[in-house]
Amino acid sequence: MTRKEASSTGGAKKQVTVTINGKKYPADEGEILLGVAVREKIAIPHLCYEPSLDPYGACRLCMVEVIKDGKREMTTSCTLRAAEGLEVVTDTPAIVKYRNVLFELYLAEAPKSEVIKEMAARYGVTKTRFLKKLDTTDSLGNKCVLCGLCVRACNEIMGAGAIGFVNRGPYTVVNTPYFEPTKDCFGCGACAKVCPTKAVEFEDRGSERVMTSWSGTKVPLARCDCCGGYYAPKALAISTLAHITPSLREEIAALCPVCRGRRIARDEILAGRGGGAGSHG
Amino acid sequence: MDEPTLDAIIARYDDPAGRLLGILGEIQDEEGYIPRESLAMLAEKLDVRLSQLYSLTTFYSYFSLTPVGDHVITVCMGTACHVKGAPGILEALEGMLGIKSDTSEDGKFSITTDDKKFTLEIARCFGACSMAPVLRIDGNLYGYATREDLPAILAEYGWEP
Repeated sequence: MTRKEASSTGGAKKQVTVTINGKKYPADEGEILLGVAVREKIAIPHLCYEPSLDPYGACRLCMVEVIKDGKREMTTSCTLRAAEGLEVVTDTPAIVKYRNVLFELYLAEAPKSEVIKEMAARYGVTKTRFLKKLDTTDSLGNKCVLCGLCVRACNEIMGAGAIGFVNRGPYTVVNTPYFEPTKDCFGCGACAKVCPTKAVEFEDRGSERVMTSWSGTKVPLARCDCCGGYYAPKALAISTLAHITPSLREEIAALCPVCRGRRIARDEILAGRGGGAGSHG
Repeated sequence: MDEPTLDAIIARYDDPAGRLLGILGEIQDEEGYIPRESLAMLAEKLDVRLSQLYSLTTFYSYFSLTPVGDHVITVCMGTACHVKGAPGILEALEGMLGIKSDTSEDGKFSITTDDKKFTLEIARCFGACSMAPVLRIDGNLYGYATREDLPAILAEYGWEP
């Protein structure tokens, strides 16, 4: 089955038409408006929008104005659901004013974040009137905006719950309990993947993955039988393999993705030489 | 805290919703602070991540993760107490106990004397504004407090000049 068929048979969602800046766009009913805007390449700045998690509305940057019965109301487009006749406008003077203050606040909250600097500069904000938060001991390198995506990915997607918010108010940070290495971390790196400001860091050192942002938590890596290279966190490999059919499992458990690819290619070539029928009809 | 004591506390909460704060509060009341071992044990017993419990305990100023002194002095710094002179009370207490307020890295205000006899804390409001300024020592409330009253009050708890 092709991809197109799969998507059309998958969910028979009602199609609606939404209006963004006076132009009409198709959308699935209930679809997140920011998602529609991203798809249609309409620029709405955002940090905390992550399609794999429920909308949360933490960063407040994706503000739009909803026009309903002649009235306008500002709201976050990441928590707005597409419905027939929904009409929104972006970049109104009120939104620009609101958003520019937010950019200034973010420049102060995460002064080392290049992502934020670039995003703010795109909207003409290059300076902040607020006191910059510069803490040399910050394990997130003064790049974190506390949107909580890493905490939620760790909890809700991975089920690990290795990290959490610590303290309160201006003292809030994200880290492991007691700022010590934690056994709850799989080393999957989902936290780094979802981080909108690239604040979360980890690196692979030999047989270990070191979660430098998370109190130096160390996670052992799985080793490839063929090339001897380390390629994935061991615990994660084991738990992933549990869902895979036994015949595949052995092969995947032993080899890193590169060596596996090579073996598949080699097997294909050998099968082709043997005159076997092509499997990709 | 030993396991049976913790089990007894947990047993008092049959509804999983909102029980964490209640349990943590009881641990704190029992021990004076929340010992690390208790938190780890609780996480295991309730099948809750340690990171979640640590978030809760560091969020609320009520919880302490470090042992406190024999007597805990809490000065109310709520609006009414503030305008009625609570900062002066706090300053006087710091002088008497020989400690200096320094909001620690976690943003909580809690200092313990070197001899571990007294811990000085602040609170936002006791709800006893009519008696402002108010302070509390080991659960006993002292209203209409003045700097002059302090030596006599503290003497009740073994303080010597």
